[in-house]
Amino acid sequence: MSVIVIENLTKRYGQRVGIQDLNLCVPEGVIYGFLGPNGAGKSTTIRLLLALLRPSGGRARIFGRDCWRHGHVIKADLGYVPGDLRLHSWMTARRALDLFGRVRRRDLRAYADVLLARFELDPEVKVRRMSRGMRQKLGLILALAHRPRLLVLDEPTSGLDPLMQDQLYAHLRERAADGATVFFSSHTLSEVEGLCDRVAVVREGKLVADERLDDLRKKAAREVTLRWRHPQSADQQPPEFLTVRERRGLEWRCTLTGPVMDLTRWAATQPLEDIAIVPPDLETFFRQFYQQDTLEP
Amino acid sequence: MNRGLLERSVREVATVTLLCGLGAMVFEMLVAYAIRTFQEQLDQMAGQWLQLDWVQNMFKGLVGSEIGEQFGAGALNSLAWVHPVLLTLLWAHEITICTRVPAGEVDRGTVDVLLGLPASRWSIYVCETMVWLAAGALVLALGLVGNRAMTWLLPSDLGYDYHQAIVVVANLYCLYLAVGGLALLVSALSDRRGRAVATAFGIVVASFLLNFLAQFSTPIRNISFLSLLNYYRPLLILRDGGWPSGDMLVLLITGAVLWLAGGLIFNRRDICTV
Repeated sequence: MSVIVIENLTKRYGQRVGIQDLNLCVPEGVIYGFLGPNGAGKSTTIRLLLALLRPSGGRARIFGRDCWRHGHVIKADLGYVPGDLRLHSWMTARRALDLFGRVRRRDLRAYADVLLARFELDPEVKVRRMSRGMRQKLGLILALAHRPRLLVLDEPTSGLDPLMQDQLYAHLRERAADGATVFFSSHTLSEVEGLCDRVAVVREGKLVADERLDDLRKKAAREVTLRWRHPQSADQQPPEFLTVRERRGLEWRCTLTGPVMDLTRWAATQPLEDIAIVPPDLETFFRQFYQQDTLEP
Repeated sequence: MNRGLLERSVREVATVTLLCGLGAMVFEMLVAYAIRTFQEQLDQMAGQWLQLDWVQNMFKGLVGSEIGEQFGAGALNSLAWVHPVLLTLLWAHEITICTRVPAGEVDRGTVDVLLGLPASRWSIYVCETMVWLAAGALVLALGLVGNRAMTWLLPSDLGYDYHQAIVVVANLYCLYLAVGGLALLVSALSDRRGRAVATAFGIVVASFLLNFLAQFSTPIRNISFLSLLNYYRPLLILRDGGWPSGDMLVLLITGAVLWLAGGLIFNRRDICTV
């Protein structure tokens, strides 16, 4: 069953296109990475899911309900952390949790205490006295405290130190193991690489990839470093499956654009001193994604 | 009604409401004190000044009706409810409150968290409305208490008709509703609180000036029905008694239409904080 279904979703701001004909399905119980550079349309998509924006075309559904028309019903089982989190300065974590509990008509205290301890947040400090990281923790706790079936997180680790990021990742994995779905937006791949089961990539308001991370890895080109024995050998032309990006003395830094077997067969016949085949570098791969219209493996 | 949302709104407006309420109370006490203490001097001064047409017109613009030759008790008491200080206090209070959602929340960026909660935009709007109505009633009640307290402390031959004072405050509350409806509509159309406050206040001040200047110019008088102040005439109530039901109805309908338009716009508009 898909928790989020987006069909031909379009949002225009006057002449400018926010997103164009976006199609997406997020299955239940997965951690779904939503990647794209700044201004790609990630936040617009999330704001459409949260019914903050009204679609110009197409539609988005969560739990089978239309996001715009039934937004308030959907949000009973949804936790949201906005990209630019702002909270009222007079709130403390305790006060905010009490208030949110009343709005949600649920007693959040027991589980909130667990989260406060896990994220090491003092519940009595006012927001105006909190650091950015503390405010982010509070935002996360407020989004998690009612144990929603769907978490929509827009760049949730900004302001968190690496230890807290690990805590968050661990918590999200636990929630996913319990059957919750996580929609995790980010502009850095390294963040979602170890966390997400599947990723979608948007660029200029359009979806350019929606695949499992393993499948994307297979498409990513390997980095190859060759070290020649003689300077004469280093001057030769490379084979067609190898693109030389840099020649430095006896060393070639290349991108493998063909099968590994072709490379190993060719390398066996060459006067090489050393060869290193590095696993696919997804970061480079995603940079290409951000820069090109389509992926060319 | 969502208790959590109500509590949140009350917390947000409590300080400004208390300050404005106390301000209204103190101001009403001061005016009542001044009227009672300097009653004779005021009568003499008014007797001389009211010979002049433009002074007559100015007072008419303020209190909403002809004063006539006699500057009587009704005119003196009505000054307490039309003084620009009181009106400014009241309007500043409600414009502050009514531009909180959505303009203020969008401006501060807190609207994302608010609209991430399981509450419809209508329920948020209704909660804000309830708090605005209650806060206005409190501010006016405190003003009335101040006025009444001083008349009790300093009895005079001016007399004090409690029933009539309540009718004036009820009429003023209708004006409060109309101005608040306007502020809610402006807020629903805006993403910046400063702009919403300036627009609402600008319209209200223009309305005040229109009503005031109508006494001096016939062309302006022809369009003075557009001014909200045209439907608030405390001197008539204090002098003649009775309920100004027509004026109150116009203000109530205006407020309701503006409120409804604000709600519809807020319910359908895009919310962008970036």
